Amino acid sequence: MDKQRPIPAWPIYFGLETEFGIAVRENAEIDVVEESIHLVRAAAQLGSPNLWDYTREDPHRDARGFRAKELRQDGDEANFFSQDRQRPYSFEEIKSDFVLRNGARFYNDHTHPEYSTPECSTLLELVAQDKAGERILEECARAASRKRNHTVCLYKNNSDFAGHSYGCHENYLIPRMIPWDRIVEGMMAFLVTRQIFGGAGKLGWEKEDQGMVGGFQISQRADFFTELVGIDTMNRRPLINTRDEPHANPKLYRRFHVIVGDSNLSEYATWLKVGTTALVLEALQYDRVPRRFFLADPLYAHRSISRDQTNRWEVDLAHSGATTATELQNDYADWVGRYVDLDHPEKRAVWKSWKETVELLQKGPNALRDRLDWVAKRSLLETFREEQNLSWNDPWLQSVDLEYHLMDRDRGLYYALESGGEISRISREEDIYRAIQQPPNASRAYVRGKCIQKFARDLVNVQWDYIAFRWKGQTYRVELSSAFPGVDLERYCEVIDRAQLVSDMIEELKLEPIGG
Amino acid sequence: MPEQVQKTHPVRPGPGPGGEGPGPRAPRVDRPNTEEILKRMRKVDPDQAKRYRQRTGE
Repeated sequence: MDKQRPIPAWPIYFGLETEFGIAVRENAEIDVVEESIHLVRAAAQLGSPNLWDYTREDPHRDARGFRAKELRQDGDEANFFSQDRQRPYSFEEIKSDFVLRNGARFYNDHTHPEYSTPECSTLLELVAQDKAGERILEECARAASRKRNHTVCLYKNNSDFAGHSYGCHENYLIPRMIPWDRIVEGMMAFLVTRQIFGGAGKLGWEKEDQGMVGGFQISQRADFFTELVGIDTMNRRPLINTRDEPHANPKLYRRFHVIVGDSNLSEYATWLKVGTTALVLEALQYDRVPRRFFLADPLYAHRSISRDQTNRWEVDLAHSGATTATELQNDYADWVGRYVDLDHPEKRAVWKSWKETVELLQKGPNALRDRLDWVAKRSLLETFREEQNLSWNDPWLQSVDLEYHLMDRDRGLYYALESGGEISRISREEDIYRAIQQPPNASRAYVRGKCIQKFARDLVNVQWDYIAFRWKGQTYRVELSSAFPGVDLERYCEVIDRAQLVSDMIEELKLEPIGG
Repeated sequence: MPEQVQKTHPVRPGPGPGGEGPGPRAPRVDRPNTEEILKRMRKVDPDQAKRYRQRTGE
């Protein structure tokens, strides 16, 4: 154990990208692409469109040290683009890619409205920004409903119960110095068992293009993972995703891209899911996880934990018999505690909640119905099933499951729990309202959000790690690839706060034109 | 890891929720009012999940 090494951020930044389900209440036969385009455009007052620079994206770069020739999803994407070419819209119009004044990105990802939070350096900010996304999408659904003269419904879930899944991806910017193999072996059992507190719950079983009612499981996504490690995200999804696209200096940093998690409504679940993952990643800087953490069959364990009706969550270990998901999570927490600075208030709070949550899960999950989505949802379904005398195979229960995720505070069932004071909170309402309008303070997203607020007309391109604008016929670029707290970020924040015109930024940052 | 990556916040994040530190706040009530939520559940269209079909995403 080496506690003398400098401790970087935990990680430097984290963020969430969430795809939402979309439907129209009065008509099941809608064109989801058309609806999604109109929905995203309803965010026009909160941001600027068509700035996103796709040329700086390369999802084929693999953390294992090569560039994949093709992804399995390339065919699907080509098919979508081919269909979309028949529409009376340009590529930019279909994408409707907005950069918002809070530093977030909001766009149409083929058929799903996708909200990417701005990068955050504290969990409090991340949870508030994630909730801000919900509020923005709820308002967009209302605006689109008025314009389209029907009721647009958005769902923050991950499946349509018929074998089609869409994701909530987590991103952790971490030091490149952590060997990739150490990350894979260290994160595998953690991510497989993390669902016991991160799962959003689902009624039914699925596989690709198939689904059936009946049987409650704790994860929305577990049915859709068939590979251990891989670069794909739409087909043959892997437990550990190898996309290597740091959006920062690739020699110093990597972005650990987690695709295995569920979309959470519960602020506590989001906070704990991201916080514990960040803690494990930080501990991996110092050491490998013990071999006794290795699972014999991670894919089998992933599905069996999700579907275990006994909530014992037993799993076979590769080297030492069997254990349970709760025991493994407890072991991970103890191991992390040896390496991570638990004097840090936010880390300590997460770590204590991690231990407490695991202990409560061992005693019986119902005590966590105010904190975990899957427990809250299962409790609602049980209450309703008993009242209506329904079997677990009744499709009405699946409809109630769906309603839990509805982005409408007047109708959605999660929001009913929240407004009834029955759910633990992380954010205050004022944190969420601020996050709708303002970027996180301690993040490069601050520069992005403030540029949208102050200089939107001058911007020509935006990416996570740069902003380009035009001034007097010349193009200038603000590089944010090293804009981290304690490095360059403070200077950029001060400059953007003082700047009245784009020329003030050019002068203060001593920017040179990069072209006409 | 380069030392430069050690972090200090340029602007301190706000206080924890309700000034209670950076952790969760317990619910406001001990006994859930299930009647209000049951009302919402009874209004759910029993067939909405059957009609809910999405394209595969990422």
